[in-house]
Amino acid sequence: MDHDEAQVRMQEIQRIMERATLWTILPGTSAITGGLMVLGGCLVSYLMFRSVKDPSFAPIDFASLLDLSLNGQIAFCVMWFLIGVGGIVAEIHFAQLQARRQGISPKGRSARLAFFSLTPSVVIAMVLTVKFLAPTNLRSQEIQYIAPVWMMLYGTGVYTAGLFSVRAPRTLGKAFIAAGVASIGFFQQYGVITAALSFGLFHIAFGLYVIGKRGAGLAT
Amino acid sequence: MNDSIKPDDIDPVIHERVRLAIVSALAVAPEMSFNELKSTLGLSDGNLSAHATSLQKAGYIEIAKSFKGRRPYTALRLTAVGQEAFRRYVETLRKIIEKGTQTMDEPK
Repeated sequence: MDHDEAQVRMQEIQRIMERATLWTILPGTSAITGGLMVLGGCLVSYLMFRSVKDPSFAPIDFASLLDLSLNGQIAFCVMWFLIGVGGIVAEIHFAQLQARRQGISPKGRSARLAFFSLTPSVVIAMVLTVKFLAPTNLRSQEIQYIAPVWMMLYGTGVYTAGLFSVRAPRTLGKAFIAAGVASIGFFQQYGVITAALSFGLFHIAFGLYVIGKRGAGLAT
Repeated sequence: MNDSIKPDDIDPVIHERVRLAIVSALAVAPEMSFNELKSTLGLSDGNLSAHATSLQKAGYIEIAKSFKGRRPYTALRLTAVGQEAFRRYVETLRKIIEKGTQTMDEPK
């Protein structure tokens, strides 16, 4: 074997290890933490909506946002923004921690591909959310679209990112897409519940699966 | 220390591309199911099965067959012998690369 072939072999080994690692650095506990944060957010949303004196919408409908005072609306948006950012930060932090523990670069080619696959759909979901929540354009139906749009786009991102890893993330992605389709088709007025089921319980179930699969020691 | 590389230093079991891919994946994942490994490496059932059997015969991997519910489940793990063989193979590659780089750096 000559120098060039040895180098090609080394690169191949590195690529395969990164691919397999993408799965092992998935932090189960951060998925569970994210899921619990979403469940908490859904509970707080429900309590905020329920406290409205003359509601036009049910407290499980995100369109109830229209019933809140301006301060309430701002608090609601800030809370969900923080939950989203908190979830992403926790995921990145724990994944890096896990990768370092395994002596692997968290910025490997596969990890970067997965990251860049997820980013466009999340950015689109953010743009649509801003559009739907624009003060001049605040309408119940568009607010109701936010949760299913996030489910479908997040699901698409997770599915695409999973193409560079094993089946489990792809299954999670498909579950989100299915939940989003069902939600936008039939359960628009139940946004708080569908968000809790998908972003909350799907993440918790996925986190438990990762922990069960790789052992608590591997799932930070 | 003699750093020269002999043909015998290259393990023929691991040297085959598919088998190297299987061992590389299992070197970082403590255990992978047959389906996980198949999708991670983009292999067909037959191809993975044949090479996994060769690695098992060499004592490099363990294949555990069981049932999850009513569905058959096959788990693959790298053995201590496999880990050592992989470590040696990577070390050999490193030596070849280093030697080649030194040769290229030497003034003619």
